[in-house]
Amino acid sequence: MVGLSVGEKNFIKGGIAQDLRTDGRKRLAYRPIHVETGVIPQASGSARVTIGATIVIASVKAELGKPHPSHPDKGKVSIFVDCSSTAEPTFEGRGSEELTAELSSALQICLLGGKSGAGAGIDLSSLSIIEGKVCWDLYIDGLVLSSDGNMLDALGAAVKAALSNTAIPKVQVSAEASADEQPEVDVGRHYIVDATLEEESQMSSAVSVSVNRHGRICGLTKRGGAGLCPSTIMDMISVAKHVSEQLINELDSVIAAAEAFDDDS
Amino acid sequence: MRGIQLSLSKHQNLRLDRALEQLESLSSKENSDASVTVADDISVNNEDAILKGHGTTEMDGRVVATMCGVVERVNKLVYVRALRARYKPEIGDIIVGRVIEVAPKRWRLEINFSQDAVLMLSSMNLPDGIQRRRTAVDELNMRSVFEENDVLCAEVRGFQHDGCLHLQARSQKYGKLKSGQLLSVPPYLVKKRKQHFHHLDQYGVDLILGCNGFIWVGEHVEVRDDMVDDLSNKSEEQIKSWNTINDEESEETYTPLETRQHICRTANAIRVLSTLGFMITVENTIEVINLSITLNVGIHEMLGAEFYVVVAEKEAERRSLVTKRDDYQDLVA
Repeated sequence: MVGLSVGEKNFIKGGIAQDLRTDGRKRLAYRPIHVETGVIPQASGSARVTIGATIVIASVKAELGKPHPSHPDKGKVSIFVDCSSTAEPTFEGRGSEELTAELSSALQICLLGGKSGAGAGIDLSSLSIIEGKVCWDLYIDGLVLSSDGNMLDALGAAVKAALSNTAIPKVQVSAEASADEQPEVDVGRHYIVDATLEEESQMSSAVSVSVNRHGRICGLTKRGGAGLCPSTIMDMISVAKHVSEQLINELDSVIAAAEAFDDDS
Repeated sequence: MRGIQLSLSKHQNLRLDRALEQLESLSSKENSDASVTVADDISVNNEDAILKGHGTTEMDGRVVATMCGVVERVNKLVYVRALRARYKPEIGDIIVGRVIEVAPKRWRLEINFSQDAVLMLSSMNLPDGIQRRRTAVDELNMRSVFEENDVLCAEVRGFQHDGCLHLQARSQKYGKLKSGQLLSVPPYLVKKRKQHFHHLDQYGVDLILGCNGFIWVGEHVEVRDDMVDDLSNKSEEQIKSWNTINDEESEETYTPLETRQHICRTANAIRVLSTLGFMITVENTIEVINLSITLNVGIHEMLGAEFYVVVAEKEAERRSLVTKRDDYQDLVA
């Protein structure tokens, strides 16, 4: 994590207050997102997403398995995130355990919803083949190669792209969700979307909202130690819905372009 | 130039490749003759007593290069200079660094080098400006001058026996940098020039090109020359105000929006130049800024793919004009 002097922190806060961040973005603007699909040929589906200097890879492996006895008509999905030590020297060995647990659980909440599976991003019943006997097991793995802030969004986009790249017979992965993150900066109660590493080191708390294509909220996570006023959270949720619309459209077009490129080459 | 992580459309890719090819062909033939790769022969006149420097070795009576780079000859010394080397400090270089440790009687700075640089307490002006011996009280108050993670600029004074750098910051123009952003670019893109402190008048922005690849873009700060003011004339007030420059107070006064826009534009211009692998000089930076203003490119869009391609094309155009002009002058003269 980069250390910042008081003057630099002041500059960043001032920029956020005046709606002009250090790289010229507005508070709610995303960095350009670059997607490549099919980067891991051995997996059923894979994608590499680059947001600024953050690079993540997601891969999906599909295997046949037995469904859980309590949910005979649903398939199983397990999500696991790993932070490579090339991203940060501190990630070596067990250094990244806390972060990976946080990212994995956030992704799980967004994509799998609550215990009953209601409101999930992935429709698990579409993964079932023969009720009670055979179903698809999806193992989704995320790998963070380089971190410049906003890993959660990059991972969400990568999982989405990997899933759309996955070819399993007769499975339609429906109602894709995309996660939005809005870290809040303490001064002046401003919040920003898609923080860089420096901005992230400054923030006091972050709310990640996962919104699906129909504008419904699939998951909500709050990270960070500072307390937030409920009205602020409601504001952030409504902004998240608005921003996620644009993000979903952009992601769709970028993923389609990546797939087209893939088919060409 | 390393591969750029940009999502360029096919058309943009073509344009960028064409501009880069043009730039390559324009670089003087001399340079390409002098460049060598590993195991290339270095042509030497075997009669002279040649000193074999870094990056060369003798094999079967021939002098052969051991790394990729450009052959340099200085009198009898022949050596190979790598193109993408780590920062190579020299005495008198202007450096921008970040404090990572406050140690007894010195500060340790990180400067993008293999070792940390050291700034001694005695190489630093005291806040009250008086020239005197540093006492134990001064040592205890070191934190009030520079703390951890502060960004400051200094000059290289010399080397220690283990290769560590010694810095000095005795002039008013050196010292702590506030209100701005620090950018990190590959050090080989910043060449040593006469001037490293630039004040962009029309934008009110301070630009400090550190030779170590750290570049500071910030609000303009008036530099008062200490030698001009008579020390005895300074009132107690002024001295006290120096000591208590409270950063918490200045929190309320953010940088004005227009200056901030110029700062962000300058920073983005430098980011574009560094990703494209062009030399970072004030002229280049100002040209890129003017280009972005005339093309009405939004500050954020400067980091988009289209602007990169346009900058590369403009640079190719400019260089071809310069070569043509030089050729013409050669013809005339």
